[in-house]
Formats: sequence, C-alpha cells, structure tokens
Amino acid sequence: MDSFWQIIFTTDFAFSVVRVTTPILFAALGALISDKAGAVNIGLEGIMLMSALTGVLAGAYSQSALVGLLAAILTGMLMAGALAYFTLKLKTDVILGGIALNFFASGATIFFLYYVTGDKGTSSSLASKVLPDIHLPLIEKIPFLGPVISGHNILTYIGIISVFGLWYLLHKTGLGLRIRSVGENENAAKSVGINVMAIRYLAMILSGAFAGMGGAFLSMGYVSWFSKGMSAGRGWIALAAEAMGRGTVIGTVLSALLFGAADALSNTLQLLQIPAELIKIIPYVFTVVGLLVYAVATTRKRKAEE
Amino acid sequence: MKKIAYLLSVIIFCSIFTACAQKPAEKTGQDKKQKVILLLPGTLGDKSFFDAANAGMELVKKELGAETKVVEMGTDSTKWEPAFEDASEGDWDIIISGNETTELMNKIAQKYPDKKYINYDTSETENPKNVYSVSYSTNQLSYLAGALGAMVTKSNMELANQENVIGFLGGMDIPGINDFLVGYIEGAQSVNPDVKVLISYAGDFGDPAKGKELGLVQYKSGVDISFNVAGGTGLGLIDAAAETNKYVIGVDSDQALLFKDSDPKKAEHIISSALKKIDQVILNTVKQTAEGKLEYGVHQVMGIVEGGVDLAKNEYFQTLPQDIKDKLTEIEEKFKKGEIQVKSGFNMSTEEIDQLRNSVKP
Repeated sequence: MDSFWQIIFTTDFAFSVVRVTTPILFAALGALISDKAGAVNIGLEGIMLMSALTGVLAGAYSQSALVGLLAAILTGMLMAGALAYFTLKLKTDVILGGIALNFFASGATIFFLYYVTGDKGTSSSLASKVLPDIHLPLIEKIPFLGPVISGHNILTYIGIISVFGLWYLLHKTGLGLRIRSVGENENAAKSVGINVMAIRYLAMILSGAFAGMGGAFLSMGYVSWFSKGMSAGRGWIALAAEAMGRGTVIGTVLSALLFGAADALSNTLQLLQIPAELIKIIPYVFTVVGLLVYAVATTRKRKAEE
Repeated sequence: MKKIAYLLSVIIFCSIFTACAQKPAEKTGQDKKQKVILLLPGTLGDKSFFDAANAGMELVKKELGAETKVVEMGTDSTKWEPAFEDASEGDWDIIISGNETTELMNKIAQKYPDKKYINYDTSETENPKNVYSVSYSTNQLSYLAGALGAMVTKSNMELANQENVIGFLGGMDIPGINDFLVGYIEGAQSVNPDVKVLISYAGDFGDPAKGKELGLVQYKSGVDISFNVAGGTGLGLIDAAAETNKYVIGVDSDQALLFKDSDPKKAEHIISSALKKIDQVILNTVKQTAEGKLEYGVHQVMGIVEGGVDLAKNEYFQTLPQDIKDKLTEIEEKFKKGEIQVKSGFNMSTEEIDQLRNSVKP
C-alpha cells in the first residue's frame, strides 16, 4: 500500500488530474449553461470533435495557434447555433437533434479530414500549431503547489477563469437571472417580457463555445494533431458531471474534477499492476458512491425537516 | 405531388438497377486482366490493418496491372453479407477480406466455389477449398521489438536512462494484444534477463489523449522506451515520448513516416515500428494466384521467415548503435534457422499471462 500513496502524493499525479479534467470541465460548463436555459445540449461530444478538427486545420493553414483556437470556438458556436435553430425554430426534439449532431460530427470530421489531408485517420501530416503552456512566475516557486498549478496549457487557465466567469454571469448579472428564469419556468419568464427564444439561442451558442475550447484542448493542447473520434466519450462524461453537480457551477466543477481524478488514478494505478479491469471501474464507483452519499444526505435532511 | 415523387423514385431505382446489371456484362471477355476486390469490415484511416491492406491493393494495381477496387463496408456487420454477395455475383476473380469477416467469408465461399477468396488476417485455420488464409506471427514480431527495447534501455544512447525498465502500451487486455506482450517480454529477456516491463492497457483503441496520459506515467516512472500496441490510442504515446524526450516503437505501419514531414523532431523519437507486412502478403498471394502457384484451402502462418512480419528499417533505425543492429540481425537469423520458439499469447490462460506480467513488474 506504501507505493499506492507514493504514487498519489506526487506533483505529477496532481498535475495530471488538472490536465485530464480540463476537456471534461469545458464540456461540463457547456452542458451547464444550456441546461440552465432549459435546453440541455447533448451534442457536446460531436461539437468537441468538430472543433478539434477545425482548430488543427485552421492552425495549420494560418500557422497561428490563436487562429486555430478561434476557429475551434467559432465552429462550436456554429454547430450549437445550428442545433438551437433546429430545436428552437423548427421544434426538433433537442435530444434527437443532439444525437444527430454527434453522428454528423463523427462522419463529417473524417470526410473533411480526408478531403484536406487525404488521410482518414489522423491529421499528423499537417504541421499544425499547439497552444502554449504557461509558466506562472512566482507561483511556480511555491513547493508542491507551484509545480501542480503552473505549467499547464493556456486553455486550462482559460477554463478556470471560465468557471468564475460563468458563476458571475449566472448569479450576478441580469442576463444570468434571465437565463435561469427561462430554464426554471418558461411561461413565467415570458410573462415578464423576457425573449425566451433569444436567451436560449444565446445559452446554446455559449455552450458551443465552451465545447469548442474543450475540443481545441484535445487536438492543440493534449496532442498536436486530430485523430478520428478523439473526443472519446468526454462529451458524455461532461453531461454526467453536470447532472451529478445538480446543475450548480461548483457542483459541476467538483464532479468534473472527480471524473478527472478517477481517470488520472486509473492511468497511474496501472503502475502497480492492479488488474486493468478493476481500475477502469473507478470513475463509476466514484459516481455511484457520490450519488449514494448525496441521496442519504438529502433524505436525512428531509426527515429532519419533517 | 406525391405521385410525381413516387414515380420519380421508381424511375431512379430502375435506372440504378439496370445500370448496375449492365456494367459487368459489358466488360466480360474483353481482357484477361485480373480483377481483384478488397472488402474491408470498417473504414480506411486506421493506420493499421485496413490502410495496410489498401496499400497492398495499390501494389497489386501498380505491379501486376490488375483492376482493383476497395470497398469500405463500414462497421455495421449486417451490411457485410450483401456486400460479399454483390462481390461474389460480380466478375471479380479474387475477393480479399479479413479479420472480422472470416466466418462470413467461409460461408459465402462455399456458395460460390468458382471464385477465389483470400483472407489476409485470421486466426481460423480451417478453410473451404477456395479460400486461402493468412495469419501473422505477432509474437515473433514483438520478440524483435522487445529485444530492441531491452537493448536500447541498457545502451548508452542519448535518451536512455539508468533504469532497466521498458514500457508496453496495449489497447485492451485481449489475446490479440497479449500475443504481442508475450513475445515482447520474451524478446526483451533474451538479451537482457533482468529487464522490467511496465505494462498499461488503455481499454480503448481510439483515445489518443488517454494514450498520452498513460505514456507520460510510464516515461516518468523510469521507462525510456515503450512499445505502442494500441492503434489510435497509441499515437498519444508517441506524443508522450516526444514531450518527455524518450524513445518509442511504433506498430502496424511505419509510424515515423506519419510525422516525418510535419514534425521531424517527433519522428526522431520513433526508432522503429513493428510491421505486419499485410501489403506484401496481399501482393504476393495475388501474384502467385495469377501464376497458378498458390494452393487454396490452406492456412499459412506468416512469420519472420515467410516475410510476413519485420521491424521498420528506416533512416531512424539506421542511426541505432551498430551492435544493436547486429544483434537483431542475429536474432532474425536464428528465427530463420528455427532456433527460437516463442510462446503465443493465444494459447495462454489468464493466470499464465498474469504470472508473466507479475514476473516482470518493476
């Protein structure tokens, strides 16, 4: 058991938790804001994938990582906007629309990749750009904490800032109040003159922007190329994280971190030769235990209130 | 309006069917060019099986002047049978497919005894009369990779460290991957008996971010060379090697070529790749069939001797120290003389594999 703790209490492990969490966090924020407005975006997986591709392509052709990132965000906003158009204007079911978006992305990314690079697997033949890692001066020098917090990809820091930004938006601004009221009760919101449609469009498009950054992190931060299906279920995990966080910003962040930590743990514990199958279930055990604790706590609270 | 649409669709359908039916009829008897069709149970772009088979078809077209066609049947297995029926009904001389379609191919082949079928990758050894099938000794192949890795970690090469530990990244804990593992460990121990092997399984063949994460964990725990046996996931291992400035051995295709032009620095970390020479096997079998030399109804295991597997001996491989290259050549010679027998992961029980894994645990 000694070696277990030796592996867990290292800066490398803590650092990898933050890194693994980043894409999940972005998508979870996307899920959160769309859910707050009452139309949950389940197309996150597909949006991430599409943005991961356009980020690489735009970055490679402009030879600028910034252009790549902007293209990824724009793609996310466009795809989410399309989903919003179909569900809000044309009244498609939002779940079906999201599923369609995911299927579309898994095929379209390969099509475009093949069209541009002549390869159906990866974009590795393109000299694409990577978003830089940021070393925080001063903070870097703090023992243990410094090496964990400093040296991450710039998108990780944007993600952390986004958390505060989103919290501020939802809870401290008039727009946030409107978004929440549209999600809570559409008719009540309408009765006080809120443009429900416009608010939902905005929430959905913002959700796409978050997912777009998550996608850019995969192909321009984590690795330096696009490969087919590289979002690998992170959009779905993010939806689970948002649901587990009960639709609160802090809850969503903590659940995303929990999933990230469990995934990082499953990577690191392979060193101990614990059977891989056992390690694979760790995130799900965490989820079940977390929900159990939550359910017990709320039942007790309710009983106490009675 | 509806009626017009209905009529139109009928007309379109009719014209498609007649067009399909006429085309092959026109061509028969015109020339004696071999007609070869490849049916892939998936899509191209996997940097592995399918792309290699496709490369084989390119060779067939170029070197034998045959007429070729590649059909990507997709991953929906219900669509494979109709595709096989279509190909068998048509005037193709040789129908090539492999792996997941084995059972289907053997069934269809019995229905069309005049056609010839080549299965370019299967572990099934019983064939109908008109099927020729091939498997590859991945354990021999990874024996070479293991020997290479174990020599590099002990060498004084620039990026090698003090620790006597090498890595292995598997896509999943399944027999096909463990066959690689068994050979890898045996090969490593043959040149470096005390070597330790860090083994990780990603549980996924398409998640490069996970592959990179697992790779970073390995490289930061003393591994200085790791072996990618995880398809798309394993591409992340290459990024991990480049980031931590360590070595990596690629798989299936010459993976150094993936990055050679776009990122030459990264390519330098990929000192070799373990290749199943699917393209050569397809070329040779089609060629021998055309010459009437290939006996059908048999299964052939392609090892080092048969030229079915080999390490990529590219420019990066050539920069290795001479003694390592000499030793690898020596091992290959031993294989050719039949002096080395490698265990196969396919014949081992889970307990035996576990035992083996624990015996090399650092």
